[in-house]
Amino acid sequence: MTILVLVEHTEGVVDEVSLQTLALARGLGDVTAVAVGAGAPDAAPAVGAHGAGSLYAVDLPAVSGYAPRAWGQAVWQLAQRLSATAVVAPGSERGNEVMAHVAALADLPLAANCVSVTASEPLTVTRVRWGGSLLEEAVVHAPVAVLTVMPHSVEAQEQGSGAAGVESFQPELSAADTAVQVAERLTADTGGISLAEAKVVVSGGRGVGSSEGFGVIEELAGLLDGAVGCSRAVTSAGWRPHTDQVGQTGTKISPEIYIPCGISGATQHMAGCKGAKRILAINTDREASIISNADYAVIGDLHEVLPAISAEVRKAKGG
Amino acid sequence: MALAVAGTLAGRRALLLVRLVRLGQPARRFDDVPARVRNEAVIALGQRKLLQRLVPGLMHAFIFWGFIVLLPTIVMAMIAVVDKDQTIPWLGSQGWFAFLVDLFATLVLVGVITAFVIRKVQRPARFKGSHLGEADVILCWIAGIVTTLLLWHASRIALGLNEWPASWSPVSNALSNLFSGGQGTKDAERVLVWLHVLLILSFLAYLPYSKHLHIFTAVVNVFFGRTRARGRLEPLVFDDPDVPDDEIRLGSGVVSDMTWKQMVDTFSCTECGRCQDVCPAYNTGKELSPKLLIMGLRDQLFAEGPDLVAMSESAETGKPLVPNAVSDDVVWDCVTCGACVYECPVSIEHIDHIVDLRRHLVMVEARFPAEADPMLRDVERASNPWGKPQSERAAWAEGLGVRVLEEGDPPPEVLYWVGCAGSFDERARQTAVSTARLLQAAGVDFAILGPRESCTGDPARRMGNEYVFQAFAEQNVETLNGHGVAKIVTACPHCFNTLANEYPDFGGSYQVLHHTELLAELVREGRIRGAGSDRSITYHDSCYLARHNDVIDAPRELVAAAGTPVEMERSGRRTFCCGAGGAHMWMEERGGQINEERVRQASETGADTLAVACPFCTVMLDDGVRSSGADLRVADVATLLAETLADESPPTA
Repeated sequence: MTILVLVEHTEGVVDEVSLQTLALARGLGDVTAVAVGAGAPDAAPAVGAHGAGSLYAVDLPAVSGYAPRAWGQAVWQLAQRLSATAVVAPGSERGNEVMAHVAALADLPLAANCVSVTASEPLTVTRVRWGGSLLEEAVVHAPVAVLTVMPHSVEAQEQGSGAAGVESFQPELSAADTAVQVAERLTADTGGISLAEAKVVVSGGRGVGSSEGFGVIEELAGLLDGAVGCSRAVTSAGWRPHTDQVGQTGTKISPEIYIPCGISGATQHMAGCKGAKRILAINTDREASIISNADYAVIGDLHEVLPAISAEVRKAKGG
Repeated sequence: MALAVAGTLAGRRALLLVRLVRLGQPARRFDDVPARVRNEAVIALGQRKLLQRLVPGLMHAFIFWGFIVLLPTIVMAMIAVVDKDQTIPWLGSQGWFAFLVDLFATLVLVGVITAFVIRKVQRPARFKGSHLGEADVILCWIAGIVTTLLLWHASRIALGLNEWPASWSPVSNALSNLFSGGQGTKDAERVLVWLHVLLILSFLAYLPYSKHLHIFTAVVNVFFGRTRARGRLEPLVFDDPDVPDDEIRLGSGVVSDMTWKQMVDTFSCTECGRCQDVCPAYNTGKELSPKLLIMGLRDQLFAEGPDLVAMSESAETGKPLVPNAVSDDVVWDCVTCGACVYECPVSIEHIDHIVDLRRHLVMVEARFPAEADPMLRDVERASNPWGKPQSERAAWAEGLGVRVLEEGDPPPEVLYWVGCAGSFDERARQTAVSTARLLQAAGVDFAILGPRESCTGDPARRMGNEYVFQAFAEQNVETLNGHGVAKIVTACPHCFNTLANEYPDFGGSYQVLHHTELLAELVREGRIRGAGSDRSITYHDSCYLARHNDVIDAPRELVAAAGTPVEMERSGRRTFCCGAGGAHMWMEERGGQINEERVRQASETGADTLAVACPFCTVMLDDGVRSSGADLRVADVATLLAETLADESPPTA
């Protein structure tokens, strides 16, 4: 019973979710790992420590970065050569995509986002649906089970005897397999800081007045290495894209400090920023509910207050 | 011979339809027979829904009543085809019947002409997307049938063949002057009666293949239309021991998942477009048109029908309804306001179709607008759609002296069901505070459940997540029954609808009042006295209150007690949604903003205050006022009343 596990890594440093995947896969049989790309052989100590007997390092010279179908080909061709009874990957965006290609190439069903697997014949899996709110029990009727493991549903556990033996594997690829690949990586306009992960978020609401009015918000966000957010009223008015919206139906943020400016603080907005550690509200209306939800508040016009704060920050940085 | 051909053609189609309907999923529509007979009398025979629009209503009523009165003349004509000297005994020789025939034949012609004027001159937008050519053909056919009838009668009068006194039929009598009474007239009489009968028979054969099928199916559909509360959704049954797990119906994914009533719905649509005309989604530029929804489902049903009935699988069968019959956007555009259902003259229940499509997408395919995911997760995880801590549910009542019911406490006279919005939303909390103050002022014995109150499950249910809804229904019913609660008041029309109409399906039967009903009662009894004001107030009816539950007068009594009422054009049962229904409170709106449209309508009244009676209407319309810059204050009627509370009200009991 050979279980082939795709591990994701960055220059040989294995991701936590891949170690979790190894832990789940060990329950099914003897685990062999496969890693793709530059530095793949360096993953051997980590996968060995987590129970993999050997590691296949796949080098794809025809592919500069990530290429989903080429990866899928590599994994499936290796699985066939090893006569693997199951192919498992982490349920990350990439893992799910590669396994979807494996399933399509092999004409097999894919059970995505499993939280547990029972080594029965056929396999029984419990998997997450619905973004975590529903658990489904499913029976996998397939000669080779293709699975992905829901991230953080299993704990990674060390178990094994040192580094796994490394072998290299060269899949046969056609032009179609490499047609889709990462050509270039660009950072987003926020200067590489995504709204959801930013440590500082400066948001504007209807009180900003116009899309041009966001200049003062962008200035402060830039100075604080933060991201720009906005309220639903702003996206409805077309001043900012929906990707900037903080709220129930937008992005949920959890910064160290959140600076809502000219935002009244409707429930739908507060639902998006309840993860913020500190809130500094700037608003002309003392009665606005954002004020009672804030740790600090400035009662005043954001178009006066923000430039003043920016000037002080600049002074502090320069001084 | 002609009869046999027409009969066969119509019969074959009818057989297909009947066999299709028998394949439909079960729907409980055989109860409540007296109410069904009443619906038949009022909606079908009385044409009540059609007459909601006077001119097109009368147009249709003339043709419809005309055909009912003229039915015996079909038999008379068929007898006369065989033997020109025979007719139906007695009736054929009655002057009054001849008069009725003349009168209604003329009215049918008036109806047909009116219909043409509406379609060709007035050209209302509601016909956009309908099969217009087909309607023209049908109207010409009807005109032909009635004209040949009148001319045939005229020729008989000219020949002296009339069994009835000619003076009773003034139109035919006048037309008889066209005929000389000679051999030519004798031939004409034969030609006309044959023409008349052949037109009728060919019409009969054509009918079941056209949208005019409704003349048979609408009568059936009206009979099986809903008799219980309009706001109630039919529950899915997850735990029927007789149904194997893999056969549990999870909404509608393919044609064969539709209930038989939903199939008859699609057969009954005449494409009149009244639904489209009143739909807030359609009117703000969204893809959804309730008419095109039903037509799309019907087209797929007819495309797959013959194979389905023959039990043969082909390329045509088993295609998903979404996105083949209707697109994903159409399914999610709906605010379940029920304007279409209320308007539909043939009792089509659009909301049930939409919700069944959503149920399948959500529960089977996990496919729904991504922005609604946090709401669904938070309802399940935190028991409220915003993910607030349950421990803060009673925070709004701090310092007000409101009793929080503890486990084991005896029930209060009235349980105040605050709802998630009233508990957590800033603007809705004002309503909760005002309602509590008013109840205290009137000396009502009431209490709240505090942290043991949960979401009713309504937003999850309207999104299509029946699992989560039923879990909450069972849990809340257990809590309420555990306290022996008999009477509930709530300020949220969505909670109201769920508690009053949907919880009985889960073992919870209570007397449920909307806060406007209870407060109006207290005002009538003099236990609350509003001092009135010179404020000009226009009241916005919540769909779930007015249209789904007929609560219309009570909030208006409160408005009158708090200021000077002024009505919007669309009010009462024909209100226009605020845009939040059907879980749209937790979705992004595509296209124009429904709330801004409603605020525009409110501004047209010139009122300075926009009164509401629903926490979601409050948020949506307040947002609409802010974004459109309208000069209106949005407030719940309870808040308006509390502000004018006269000092002489009795003190707290």
